[in-house]
Amino acid sequence: MVALLMAAPLVAGCASPAWDDADYGSKAGATAEAAASSVALVRLAVENEARLTRPYLQTLLTETATELGGVDSQFGAVQPPSQAAVAVRAEITGLTSEAAERVRALLNEVRLREIRDPGKAAADLAALGDRLRAFAGEQPS
Amino acid sequence: MKRFLAVTLGILTAIGGFVDIGDLVANALVGSRFGLSLAWVVVVGVVGICLFAEMAGRVAAVSGRPVFDLVRERLGPRAGLLNLAASFGINLLTLAAEIGGAALALELATGIDYLLWVPAVGLVAWLVMWRVRFETMERVFGLAGLALVVFLVAFFALDPDYGELGRQLTHNPSDDGAATYWYYAVALLGAAMTPYEVFFFSSGGVEERWTRRDLGVMRANVFVGFPLGGLLSIAIAACAATVFLPQMIEVGTLGQMVLPAGLAFGQIGLALVIFGVFAATFGATLETALSSGYSISQYFGWQWGKYVRPREAARFHATLLVSTIVAVALILTTIDPIKVTEYSLVLSAAALPLTYLPVLMIANDPDYMGDRVNGRLSNTLGTLYMILLLLVAVAAIPLMLATKAGQ
Amino acid sequence: MTGRVLHAHLHLLDRQVVRADGRLLCKVDDLEIETGEVPYVTAILAGPLALGPRVGGVIGRLMTGTTRLFRPEEGPAPPRVPMSLVAEIGGAVTVGGDVPEASLERWVRDHLVDPLPGSGGGQAGAGAPRPVRRSEVPVRDRLSSLVGRRVVDRDGGPVGQVADVQLTQDGPLLGETTQALRLSGLVVAPRHTGQLFGYERGPGGNSPALVRVVIRRLHQGSRFVAWEQIGDAGDPIRLTEPRAALLPLEELFTRGDASASA
Repeated sequence: MVALLMAAPLVAGCASPAWDDADYGSKAGATAEAAASSVALVRLAVENEARLTRPYLQTLLTETATELGGVDSQFGAVQPPSQAAVAVRAEITGLTSEAAERVRALLNEVRLREIRDPGKAAADLAALGDRLRAFAGEQPS
Repeated sequence: MKRFLAVTLGILTAIGGFVDIGDLVANALVGSRFGLSLAWVVVVGVVGICLFAEMAGRVAAVSGRPVFDLVRERLGPRAGLLNLAASFGINLLTLAAEIGGAALALELATGIDYLLWVPAVGLVAWLVMWRVRFETMERVFGLAGLALVVFLVAFFALDPDYGELGRQLTHNPSDDGAATYWYYAVALLGAAMTPYEVFFFSSGGVEERWTRRDLGVMRANVFVGFPLGGLLSIAIAACAATVFLPQMIEVGTLGQMVLPAGLAFGQIGLALVIFGVFAATFGATLETALSSGYSISQYFGWQWGKYVRPREAARFHATLLVSTIVAVALILTTIDPIKVTEYSLVLSAAALPLTYLPVLMIANDPDYMGDRVNGRLSNTLGTLYMILLLLVAVAAIPLMLATKAGQ
Repeated sequence: MTGRVLHAHLHLLDRQVVRADGRLLCKVDDLEIETGEVPYVTAILAGPLALGPRVGGVIGRLMTGTTRLFRPEEGPAPPRVPMSLVAEIGGAVTVGGDVPEASLERWVRDHLVDPLPGSGGGQAGAGAPRPVRRSEVPVRDRLSSLVGRRVVDRDGGPVGQVADVQLTQDGPLLGETTQALRLSGLVVAPRHTGQLFGYERGPGGNSPALVRVVIRRLHQGSRFVAWEQIGDAGDPIRLTEPRAALLPLEELFTRGDASASA
């Protein structure tokens, strides 16, 4: 709930109607940047998971998962202006849902006990973050 | 120890201005986006608030008149009412945000949804205002808020790249446009100089029954409290610039902004910082709620203050109660507490010059001040800041619209 | 002996009224004046019925309207504090004697604050008996009705608007020792430029130069009208002398520094 509200400005910034390909692309780029930022933050927390408290991790991950999920569904709702844009949309929604999925999985692990393999989780998140940044770099700004 | 306790009013006031819920997140966001390149704004803000709080405190000590008395007296009933409407609006919105902030801190500590904590926070805040003596209140929450010093210690423990941070002092590391940079500059300055700080500080002086003899204590409050608040605010930005900026992480929530303390000191650091955030937001809750009571009572001439029994200041206490209930209701609509403080910036723009001009005038009026009128330095600086505040008042809303509130 | 010279706006209106024991009572929302042969201030008026007309506009009407709604009597008047009770005029106005508190304060206390635990009060409604509202007080003029009025000179040429009213403490005796504040003159500004902020007149040696310059500029050409120069105090106020015979304000305060700061 909290995170949904906090994501509201982010969503509002990304989901206003897009007119042309360049515009659509830059919005997709901004969305990817925001998602990469969230993923990097989760990675920081996961790397240091042993030193943080459980309620804190839980709150932080819930917040991020909702934020990522919100961005994903909101962006999917914008009509792409062209065939090329459809491909862009497929790529960005694929990446953000993967991110949301991963964070949700981590959240479940925290809820149950603790993160099983923080090292691997962090590495996966780092790789995903790199892909998001690379995607953002390809888009017109 | 007694000496030290005497400055808690200044500390509590400054915490409400510099590190309340909106600023906790804004400072971290600024640090993660602009590094230390906006630290100069905090310094400008600290000088400004020291200047005007000292004047307001001096007027309160010498003549016994708090700031909103001065606003009404010098601006007259119409402009005074405009200022009251703006200030009261800011207070109420900020109060709602602070209650939400204290509840968010409790969520971070317990994992229980913040909305469940909101009514409890509201109730406890009201009970404190209803029953607890002013001095006790100011000491407990002023000192507890100092737990945020953990950000300063964490900054050094995080082994920062001093060279890079030093470079950021003069070079903006962000590739965002100039409008965004200046939007945050205005927001930080507005936060440093929010009018409710001088309402609270001068009314607090009257609550503590300051007289001419307490001018030294008053100045100690000003020159310890506000620079400390500014230092905390820079420490938060510096932590974010160290941890988040190199990773290109943009901070936007309370949960994210406390992470550096956790990274530096583990669970103890996290516990301390969450405690500090709670104390600061709860202190700011009291500050804004009381300020709403002070400003409206002082405009209409009602008996106010915690130095009399509640029944002798019935309308004042009724205002506190109603404001708290409205603020709790507002935050229970699930409106984002941090966003709320951004909107209060719009109201601040109108209230800033309308608050500080009367203070500057009366600090020069021998009728009130006798031989304690402003010196040349206060007047020169005061005039410069009046010009600056007018610029801020004019620029705030266009910048907010142009940057979609800093996005 | 010349009496103390005050300016209504600068020294009295909108100041806090304080009881002798330090408790706060109300604001000087307006002043009631007796407009006879020697016009003088008779009482301080307080509350929304006095403040509303000064605020003006929709909000002012709303203030007075709401208050009227809750007052039972026909054509209610604002509570007044007779000037004979005023002990001191400084940063606040101190009054002695037994002045009843505002009815809203009483109502809020009886119905909201006292019932709450820990209010420091006894039983609800156990306080002093309700004061009887005296309504035999004749309706008199208010000082604020003078402010903003147009002023024309002997030949009907415009002089400006009333910006402030000068009061001199040499009027008829109120009570035993205090003399009433007599209306002794008007400060007339050439255009509607709002408050004078006191920077017009005061000796104010060390006030911020820039603020002073701005306000002086706004009020350039302001004049002082002695009460004796007024022919007809209607609307507009007609003077008995031509505009050129009026004293410019600057001269007033260079001449009368000593008495103004007394």
